[in-house]
Amino acid sequence: MTVQQVLFIVISLVVLGAALFVVTTRNLFRAALMMILAFFGIAGLFVLLEIGLFAVAQVLIYIGAISILVIFAVMLTRGMQGMVPRNSQAVGAAVTAAIIFAVLLLILGPLRVTVDLARWPVISLFAGNASPREVGGIAWTPANQAIPPVPETYISDFGRALVDLNQYLLPFLLIAFLVDVVLAGAIFIARQRRPAEVIEERQLRAEEDAEEAEAMRRASAPSALPEGAVASAADH
Amino acid sequence: MQNVLNGIPLWWYLVVSSALFCIGLYGTLARKNAIALLMGVELMLNAANINLLAFWRYLAPDTAGGLAFAAFVLVIAAAEAAVGLALVISVYRTTRSIDPEALDQMKL
Amino acid sequence: MNPINDLLRILSDFVAGIIGSIFSFSPFLADLVTMGLAALILCTFAALSFMGLTYVERKVVARIQDRLGPNQAGPLGLLQPLADGIKMFTKEDTTPANADRWVYNLAPLVIAIFALTTYAVLPFAPGVVGTNLNVGAFYLIAIGSGSIVAILMAGWGSNNKYALLGAFRTVAQLVGYEVPMLLNVLPVVMMAGSMSLVDIIHKQTTLDGNPGIPFIVFFPLSALVFLISGIAETGRSPFDLLEAESEIVAGFHVEYSGMKFALFFLGEYVNALAVAFVFSTFFLGGYAGPILPPYIWLLLKAAFIFFIFMWLRGTLPRIRIDQMHNLNWKFFVPVSIVHLVVVMVLMKLFVTSPAQAQAVGGILVTPIAQAVILFIASMTILLVSLAIAAQRARALRLQEEAILERRRAENLAAVGA
Repeated sequence: MTVQQVLFIVISLVVLGAALFVVTTRNLFRAALMMILAFFGIAGLFVLLEIGLFAVAQVLIYIGAISILVIFAVMLTRGMQGMVPRNSQAVGAAVTAAIIFAVLLLILGPLRVTVDLARWPVISLFAGNASPREVGGIAWTPANQAIPPVPETYISDFGRALVDLNQYLLPFLLIAFLVDVVLAGAIFIARQRRPAEVIEERQLRAEEDAEEAEAMRRASAPSALPEGAVASAADH
Repeated sequence: MQNVLNGIPLWWYLVVSSALFCIGLYGTLARKNAIALLMGVELMLNAANINLLAFWRYLAPDTAGGLAFAAFVLVIAAAEAAVGLALVISVYRTTRSIDPEALDQMKL
Repeated sequence: MNPINDLLRILSDFVAGIIGSIFSFSPFLADLVTMGLAALILCTFAALSFMGLTYVERKVVARIQDRLGPNQAGPLGLLQPLADGIKMFTKEDTTPANADRWVYNLAPLVIAIFALTTYAVLPFAPGVVGTNLNVGAFYLIAIGSGSIVAILMAGWGSNNKYALLGAFRTVAQLVGYEVPMLLNVLPVVMMAGSMSLVDIIHKQTTLDGNPGIPFIVFFPLSALVFLISGIAETGRSPFDLLEAESEIVAGFHVEYSGMKFALFFLGEYVNALAVAFVFSTFFLGGYAGPILPPYIWLLLKAAFIFFIFMWLRGTLPRIRIDQMHNLNWKFFVPVSIVHLVVVMVLMKLFVTSPAQAQAVGGILVTPIAQAVILFIASMTILLVSLAIAAQRARALRLQEEAILERRRAENLAAVGA
């Protein structure tokens, strides 16, 4: 067990544990903090892969920008006061995720399954070659071949590839354009409202608050409401 | 079995990224809050990044294609998070709810 | 090896040798213990300098304000940091009601950790550096952005609306001032050809045919904007609206007392010292210098920059929050972008080595000529942008005065009628 193996196992457990916490907790702020922990773990995985540039970029972009955006959004939409309930399709989602995980393990991982199509009643009609065969466990790295080391100048090579006409200049320019459009769009969406819209929003908020106060009053005194009071409250 | 880098074979990274992807998928499909949904999407994008960079490192570290692809995924994830959260805040201002199931009409 | 010049390297080799011989059965453990000891020494250095800096700052600011400063605790007040430490230790350690205890207690720890991690990549002498990351400059900015999360944790964990508001404003300021910092580190990285701090300093020394010109001569505008952004990043005066007593009652750390507040305080000073070191490394040449030993040069340069911080604190009034955001987004960012583009073009036009001239097709000049050209370009952009900003400010002020005059005339007419 080399040091890197131990480190890898520890960091992977941290990442997956934090991700599980993110998707199952009902407290949105805790979820955001655990997401930050997951991003740190992923930066650690990049360091193990000997790609320092992306580890630092991950910390700068995901933790320094996206996580702060998420926390701001959580606070601005009052996610702190409410808890996040589960969806109506939570069970189906879990089953789907499990099935997709199994398929991905077949394709990417070491899982090997022997499939005998002749035993399946309907599918065997369509299967051409129905002899039992093995699926999965593809060796993505060819055995008995050394893994080439990362060249020392990989950062400047990467930079040069991004501006090389024969390589990745076009996607680079498209991404730059996309980021420009996103900047303009986000500013527009979050712009200051005109007075008419502001008045409309204020009315909506006042109505909502009145409804909330009403509901709280009814919840705290459930048994003592005569018919007349309910009718008069509904009138307002 | 396969080749190892400091004792870590490639499929370890792939398993971790698959697991992270599926956790993110569950988080996106099973939550009632638009922001929690976006957090699941970010996890999925990170899983894709791990996958890309692991393959780049093990199979072709002297080219720049994997790095470029991963960089683009990073930038697009950031852009999408920005726009998505701006939209969520804007919708919250008018309808006071961020339940994606409640937004089923084209008119606010 | 000159013993005084290479003192740090001799000491570190000696200690590494001792640990290597103790742990000779396992080189991995020897490495681990050596690195742990180095980290411990760096953190102790940062903490001790924090103590000294609080004293020096109070003395300097007091002198600027025409008073004496602490002079009661010990001779010349030298034991004042000790007295402050005892006070912090013996204060009651409270936790607000209904606060999220984990988040509340972790926040000062995370800030202190991030502040101390910046010292891991700073080169203190040739060959004496924690770790020579080949993305060192990038790493420093990323660590700065990582500490922002801890501020949000502190603001939310206090269960206090004012703390939350203070945390929001702090984060808005810190995230905003990262952009000019990053944009102005880029010319330095382009000139040095690498993001590694050791390479950046190497390019400013006289070794290997380098001209030995510090980068502040090449890019004065970058240096100025980086310095001001650095002051804003650490939340020092005049950008200390976020923790001002009269504005927002100490901002996001209002609910912290005792040792936890001391950790926030330590984070701020350690950050400021780190910015001073980083500025010396990027723009003033780090440990390069003619006669004195390298570590003395670095300490002198960092001390000079920190003196400028203290000078600004004692002299300038607090800046308002809308003025601060205007300054950042409407002045620093456009000017930095224009400067970056101009520098890029000029660096490709006027190259210093024949190989580059052949490959890229530029004009071959001596390094000093390149320095002069870039200096003139930088200063031109700086003066032109300052002139434009001054003109706009004057126009705005005249407009406001005209409105005030009109209102005053109306009031007089209303009173008279």
